[in-house]
Amino acid sequence: MKGYIGIDVGSVSINIIFIDDGGVVADAIYLRTQGQPIAMVQKGLKELSGRLPAGSKVRGVGATGSGRNLAGIIVGADAVKNEITAHAIATSQVVPGVQTILEIGGQDSKIIILRNGVVTDFAMNTVCAAGTGSFLDQQAARLNISIDQFGEIALQSGSSVRIAGRCAVFAESDMIHKQQMGCGLPDILAGLCEALVRNYLNNVGKGKEILAPVVFQGGVAANVGMIRAFEQALGLPIKVPPYYNVMGAVGAALLARETAAKKGYSLFKGFGISDMEYKTGSFECPGCSNLCEVIQVTEDGRIIARWGDRCGKWSNALREEKIS
Amino acid sequence: MKIGIPRSLLYYYYYPLWRVFFEELGAEVVLSSHSAKGILAAGLKNAVDEVCLPVKMFYGHVLDLVGKADMIFLPRIVSVEKREYICPKFLGLPDMIRCLKNLPPLIEVDINLYKNNKDFYSAVKNIGNIFTKNHLDIWGACLKALKAQKKYFKLMQMGLMPSEALALIEGRVEDKSLPDGEKMNIALLGHPYNIYDPYISMDIINRFRAMGAVVATAEHVSGKIVRNYAARLPKKLFWSLGNRMIGAAFHYLEQPGISGMVHVAAFGCGPDSMTGGIIERYAHSSGIPFLNLTLDEHTGEAGVMTRLEAFLDMVRWRKAAFGS
Repeated sequence: MKGYIGIDVGSVSINIIFIDDGGVVADAIYLRTQGQPIAMVQKGLKELSGRLPAGSKVRGVGATGSGRNLAGIIVGADAVKNEITAHAIATSQVVPGVQTILEIGGQDSKIIILRNGVVTDFAMNTVCAAGTGSFLDQQAARLNISIDQFGEIALQSGSSVRIAGRCAVFAESDMIHKQQMGCGLPDILAGLCEALVRNYLNNVGKGKEILAPVVFQGGVAANVGMIRAFEQALGLPIKVPPYYNVMGAVGAALLARETAAKKGYSLFKGFGISDMEYKTGSFECPGCSNLCEVIQVTEDGRIIARWGDRCGKWSNALREEKIS
Repeated sequence: MKIGIPRSLLYYYYYPLWRVFFEELGAEVVLSSHSAKGILAAGLKNAVDEVCLPVKMFYGHVLDLVGKADMIFLPRIVSVEKREYICPKFLGLPDMIRCLKNLPPLIEVDINLYKNNKDFYSAVKNIGNIFTKNHLDIWGACLKALKAQKKYFKLMQMGLMPSEALALIEGRVEDKSLPDGEKMNIALLGHPYNIYDPYISMDIINRFRAMGAVVATAEHVSGKIVRNYAARLPKKLFWSLGNRMIGAAFHYLEQPGISGMVHVAAFGCGPDSMTGGIIERYAHSSGIPFLNLTLDEHTGEAGVMTRLEAFLDMVRWRKAAFGS
């Protein structure tokens, strides 16, 4: 099989997918980042190479997510794009005519508005990460339930309790208070879902015209309690695409297909990178009062990338070494 | 005598004026270093908690001048335009700064043009008296300073950024032709001390330029146009800088060559939350892509880059789909 790889390196998960020439997802891998993005990208690629049928060929690779630059350098990506564009591209392919995309990931949440297949507006959460996946994770752990059961339990609720959702810290103390008053777990979880939806619509969705078809994606879309809370708040049916938790990676792969078709070749370094040794480190440049934190990535002891310097002294030095 | 001027806040508007004025009276002008991590760190450590990011940065710049200057120029700027005020933080600036220890003497003088322009000369005379008792010399220096200021504003209205206009005035660069406005024109609105300080704004202007956009700011628009357009609001805003942003925004919304508009707000700035909201509504009703960017002392550049990239993708996409 010939196809394209898409990699989405997020704060909580790393998603790697393989699409065929027609843009259909052939395989998807969802891994927890566990604070080691490089090792997990390597692990994911190894897993993918084992699962692909013999004789498969990678014609292009795309990277997205907050760790896109790091992933792009390690695998040799053809397209490195921000996650908003990647999500919009993937969803318009999977759900033609989509007008609103609600995306809630590990630490980011976004809303993307499309009209006639074109992005017309978007917003991301600002300084606050309340209502994103990592908060739900943390609460599930505190209540000693698995995050996979969270939504199912919330659906059992007869009457949800009201939780203050403005701030994750206050939401937690409010939940503790409701538990101590004797409210049932399903009602508290349902209340938490409603609070998060309220917070999302007030912050991220502020002033946006939400029209059907509405697509909900990102890791949090696995939570049926959140889906129901969105349906109730918006009064619209919510669609969750089949590969909802890897849509960013799908978009990256579609972008890689476009770029590779234009260039006619791919920069992909091959699956062999899974066995190489990568190290990252940073140092503070003493050159001026900016005190930039310069980050460098080494591949088997050889420096392959540097960034973080404002003046370009370190990153350009590397480029010159490469030429000579 | 060395007069220190902090490279912050209204430096971006009035530096040429005061530089010429002090130099004409025989003083030497020293600037604080460019904004950097160390300067912000000193500012954060010493500033009161409630002020906005640019004022915290200003503290750092004042401290940077200790040991470099014999006196620090710190006027209390109340109003620079008839029947308008400057943000209240400028009124309290000398009082806040005076609490810092071991500062050289401050040149504090009130500048209040709320009623009329004549009050300007009395302020200038008070400053001039530090150096000479000769009124004619002060008057002459004042005229030359005003002329330099006029030239600076004129250069900015021709499309230069403050740093470029200053470089041209000081003969550091050759006079070269202006970039043509054929590519993607983005209107960037925000307080001058936020958008022109490359450290605070994470170098937003050059990032946009590197991604192929031509940046137009409120300072590129003449005062007359700004006043005419700002008068469309049912009630005049109190703040001069806010009026400039609103007037320029309304002007740019009517320019067919402008493909997108970005408003930069400092986290915690009251006037910015007003002007940003007003501009967003007008931009939405005229169908121009709009992005609101909030800056704080957070050094995560990934978030800013994601938003800028996604915004330009959206602008390009819309242009390709609907024409300009």
